[in-house]
Amino acid sequence: MTGPGPIASGRFSHDLLLHDGHNELVDGVRAYVDQGLASGGQVIVHGAEGRLATMREALGSRPRLEYALTSDLFPTPMRTLFATQRRLAENPEPVELWAAGSVPPIDDRASRISWTRFESLINEILGPYAFHALCTYDTQTLSGRTIAAGRATHPCLSSSGCRTSSPDYLAPAEFLASPLAGVPGPPGSRPAVTLTLYSARDLKRARHLVARSAMSFSALPVSSIDGFVSALNEVLVNGLDHGGTPVQLALWVEPTRLTCRVLDDGPGIQDALAGFRYPEPSGPKGLWLARQLCEDVYARNLPSALGGGCSVVLTAN
Amino acid sequence: MLSDGGRLMSWDGHLLLVYDNERQRRDGVAAWARRGLDLDAKVVYIEPPQESAERSFLGVLKEHEIDANDALERGQIQIVPADASAYSPTWQASMVEAALADGYPTVRWSGEAVTAWRVISPAVHADIEWATDELCHTRPVSILCQYSSGLARTPTQAVFAMHEDGVRSSQLQTSPIPGGMAVAGEVDTCNERILRTALMAACAGITEGQGSFVVELSQVDFLDVAGVRAFMTGTAVHRGSGGTVCLRAAQRRVDRLLRLLGVDRAEGFVVEGPR
Repeated sequence: MTGPGPIASGRFSHDLLLHDGHNELVDGVRAYVDQGLASGGQVIVHGAEGRLATMREALGSRPRLEYALTSDLFPTPMRTLFATQRRLAENPEPVELWAAGSVPPIDDRASRISWTRFESLINEILGPYAFHALCTYDTQTLSGRTIAAGRATHPCLSSSGCRTSSPDYLAPAEFLASPLAGVPGPPGSRPAVTLTLYSARDLKRARHLVARSAMSFSALPVSSIDGFVSALNEVLVNGLDHGGTPVQLALWVEPTRLTCRVLDDGPGIQDALAGFRYPEPSGPKGLWLARQLCEDVYARNLPSALGGGCSVVLTAN
Repeated sequence: MLSDGGRLMSWDGHLLLVYDNERQRRDGVAAWARRGLDLDAKVVYIEPPQESAERSFLGVLKEHEIDANDALERGQIQIVPADASAYSPTWQASMVEAALADGYPTVRWSGEAVTAWRVISPAVHADIEWATDELCHTRPVSILCQYSSGLARTPTQAVFAMHEDGVRSSQLQTSPIPGGMAVAGEVDTCNERILRTALMAACAGITEGQGSFVVELSQVDFLDVAGVRAFMTGTAVHRGSGGTVCLRAAQRRVDRLLRLLGVDRAEGFVVEGPR
């Protein structure tokens, strides 16, 4: 059986480095950073505060090499992914990006779901570009479930400078449908606002209602609220156009988080990965735009046992 | 944050009121009438002789609590039955001169296009619309022409072109500015067609060789994918023939949309802003 061979410049790669010791980690990251710099690319190493200092000490300061805190990435991982996608898709000069990073602290179910979703969707969102990621998972501290998700979301495993295809890898559509991915849901509390939309003429009222509640009862910056309202508008338009009326909207407002659920009775979204790839010039743009303007847009078709239809949950933080 | 600002542009000049339903039509007519009374204008309204109380001009004024009794008594407000003479340019010109001679600083009238089409053919009505556009720019006259829209039938590009002072609709207004037009309101899938047609009419109206068409966006409070599509398709002919379109002074949230959707990188566009 032939392996995947070394990381190829100009293409996408997303490797998992499982380690249980410090030296293994530093050696693996060093080899990766060396290759990235040799390819002429931009290299960024993410890490938690203490470990980042160790990495900096080991790898030193070199041109085109940056260090960043994982905690700066983690609050808005999807937004960071899409910002990278736009950079790669829109840059007239080809750019090659190499990122290395470790898993942020995962202390609850919601953050595990959010992180594994991010790991799987990297493959879809950045798959067409010269983007490389090396994700380091510490087998001593991470749960078996997180490690299993890691094996299922990284096409390649990296170990002692050797790359092998991950036998457990699942393409994003399969992964998101698997039990490993989990289902992020709206908060369990009662929504602050509910509204039924019967036609596109109700969009303005929905936008104003959500904007007013968010401004009054959350501490999010105006730009985040504006983005959330725009994202919601596109999801509502999709629901009205494809799902059929009425469309049900529910909004939850927490101090640093907005959640909206949009329900329609339509046939649902055919392509689970709609709106992740950078849009074609003449293709549909609404869902992709919605994904640029808030932290996450999670769409799923409801089981027919529950009456079917489509549920889209949007979050901003 | 979205403002609840309502209508941002004036109710003067030769205006096209595009409405989807009776509520929007009556709200527009009431705002236009209120502006006329504020200006001490002579206000003339053309309607079918047997118009229902609810749809009639006086019904609209009553519904919006505009006290019209005195103005009616002294002839400031005049209801004209829709017959052939009401659409005669000669009658219109003499009505304007008589009102000005009576000391009114300005004259305004309004009616529904469908009312006119019951009396005269749409083609003859279009000729009169062009003539009255001229009248609005040579005499102190304002005219509000009411056209039904609905998503299926937005008035044609020609109808937009003959109302040079812009469109008034519940969520979207336009106004001419030197070298282009200003847009105000919230642009979404409800009014994408209105904006597209208004842009097509305005772009076609600029002198050939002038090249640049300016769109002032500072009063646009919301724009979505459909709105961006209206800017692309509404100016496609102009840009395709080598013209440029400058989108100016967008608010931050609108500017962000324009850039995310690549308008700033699209052929023929310049995005200046945000304000």
